[in-house]
Amino acid sequence: MAESQAVQAGPGRRWVQPRSSIEPKLDRDAVRPIRLPPLRRFRARIRARGRLWATAYAFVLPAFALTALFSIVPLFMVIRRSLYRGNIFDTDLTFAGLRNYKALFAAGGGHSLVVTATYTIGFVLVSLVAGMGIAFLLDLPLPGLKAVRALFIIPLVVPAVATAFIWFILFQPQTGLFNRILTGAGLPQVTLDNPTVAMVAIIGFGAWQFFGEVVILFLAALKTLPNDVIEASIVDGATGWQQLRYIRLPLLRPQTALITVISTLTGLQAFTQIFVLTNGGPDGATQTALYYVYNQAFGLGAAGSIGIADAMAVLLFVISILVTIAQVVIVGRAARAVS
Amino acid sequence: MRISWPARVVVYLLVAIAGLAVLFPLIWMALSALKSDADIINPNAPLFPRNWLWSNIPAAWNAAPFGRFFVNTAIFAVATTIGQVGTGLLAGYAFAMFHFPGRRVLFYGVLSGLMIPFTVVLIPVVQILADFGWMDTYQGLIVPNLASALGCFLYRQFFLSAPADLAESARIDGASELRIFWSIYRPLAQPMTAALTTIIFLQNWNNFLFPLVVTTKQSLMMISQGLTIFQGQLRGTQVNLLMAGSLIAVLPVLIVALIAQRRVVDGLMIGASR
Repeated sequence: MAESQAVQAGPGRRWVQPRSSIEPKLDRDAVRPIRLPPLRRFRARIRARGRLWATAYAFVLPAFALTALFSIVPLFMVIRRSLYRGNIFDTDLTFAGLRNYKALFAAGGGHSLVVTATYTIGFVLVSLVAGMGIAFLLDLPLPGLKAVRALFIIPLVVPAVATAFIWFILFQPQTGLFNRILTGAGLPQVTLDNPTVAMVAIIGFGAWQFFGEVVILFLAALKTLPNDVIEASIVDGATGWQQLRYIRLPLLRPQTALITVISTLTGLQAFTQIFVLTNGGPDGATQTALYYVYNQAFGLGAAGSIGIADAMAVLLFVISILVTIAQVVIVGRAARAVS
Repeated sequence: MRISWPARVVVYLLVAIAGLAVLFPLIWMALSALKSDADIINPNAPLFPRNWLWSNIPAAWNAAPFGRFFVNTAIFAVATTIGQVGTGLLAGYAFAMFHFPGRRVLFYGVLSGLMIPFTVVLIPVVQILADFGWMDTYQGLIVPNLASALGCFLYRQFFLSAPADLAESARIDGASELRIFWSIYRPLAQPMTAALTTIIFLQNWNNFLFPLVVTTKQSLMMISQGLTIFQGQLRGTQVNLLMAGSLIAVLPVLIVALIAQRRVVDGLMIGASR
């Protein structure tokens, strides 16, 4: 810190020739700049520093003010509000203690947390297995594989409302393609009205949409592997599988941990496909914590409770923070284990 | 590394299966959008349209105000992207290059935005917008999305590793701080700005939940929300028009993403490098 401060000389500070005994004698007065009287020099420096600070604050202000107004203040609002009863307009507030949290669990909140965990675990597992698998394949030195990389980012960038609706149509009873294939194979029909099918559908869509990001991140991670270790293993006669299992995967542990955390945080924010495919149903089977918040606050209209929605939002925040803390711990430990 | 022929076949086969899994819903959408409704439902109809009904696309376009939706989406995505990249660039630069009182506190303040998911504060943000009288307005949609903690963090990382002596010599030459920022350091960050802008733009373009709770008027709706209205109107009937509507929503983004694929990939990677 001290060092960087020294480098950070303000515009008012003058560059000073370092003195040294072997320095050739110069006529210093000839090159010395005109010096101001001490007080004026002091004022000039203050002014220059003031200008620097003003620039700094002006640069920081927009980002800080917006973050404060639309993230930090609302966080305190939602925590405070989760302890009160009242309507969305914040009138008629009465202090309720932890009663909103109690009501939350009475109104299916616990089930919703289980659904969140089920969805997130399924989503992360499928995304990671598919993403890592494809990344390993695409990393092989074979012609044409580079060209198809872009393919896997398509689901990530096109509007999810549109693609989720395609899935909705594919799942239609009788006429939907999935059911036509199942009927053709002599198997029973599936419908989004079935809790298991609904959960599989939202996990399937989530992973279909997201695993391309895992592919991209993993390909980048594979590039960072030290070549000499892998070459040494080839010289030692390691098969492709042994190489993968005993050298690459262990070396990739820190990146794998990071990608797992990113996927988990993404999974906790799933919303669009639930809205389009199942609307949280059937009977709350796909109502994740976020969807619960949405339903209580906006989706159900007058039947919902803002206090309960706020309580669930606070729980969602706590979960996200726990995952973020886990990130710091796990990624740190994985990085130490490798080095 | 030498890869045997059978192994090569397996690799290409697996990649082809994965690629097909990714593309299949989109291909199916495009083909369904150009079929007659009867051919979609009929299990004996061929996969490809028997007669290509290109008229489905204008029919879907006219069934909902898609033009309005696109204009709204463009306004929202352009404004919020400029805001997020701009505020992130300025703040990240200041946090990395200047020493000023309160720097640490302000930095952690902005950084906390990374820790607080937008969905957690959705309800109070809506309450704030209601207090401002900004529900169902462009400013209500745009202003809460003008700052990006991630952008600030990434730019700060970038400028911390940028050479400091460029600023030193420019200062000795008498350049102002603004000039140093704009002419020396902003261009240095250009590759990152390009990648970040691309990925943030696509995210904003696809934003669904926030516009969904802030707007109720069709004249303000963005493409994602508009599409759900369109889906609601036609649900259960005219699958071909529904798919044509999805095609209308997907196509522009798909074209942009394929043209800028290098930047999209870079953007996805820097977004994860926290």
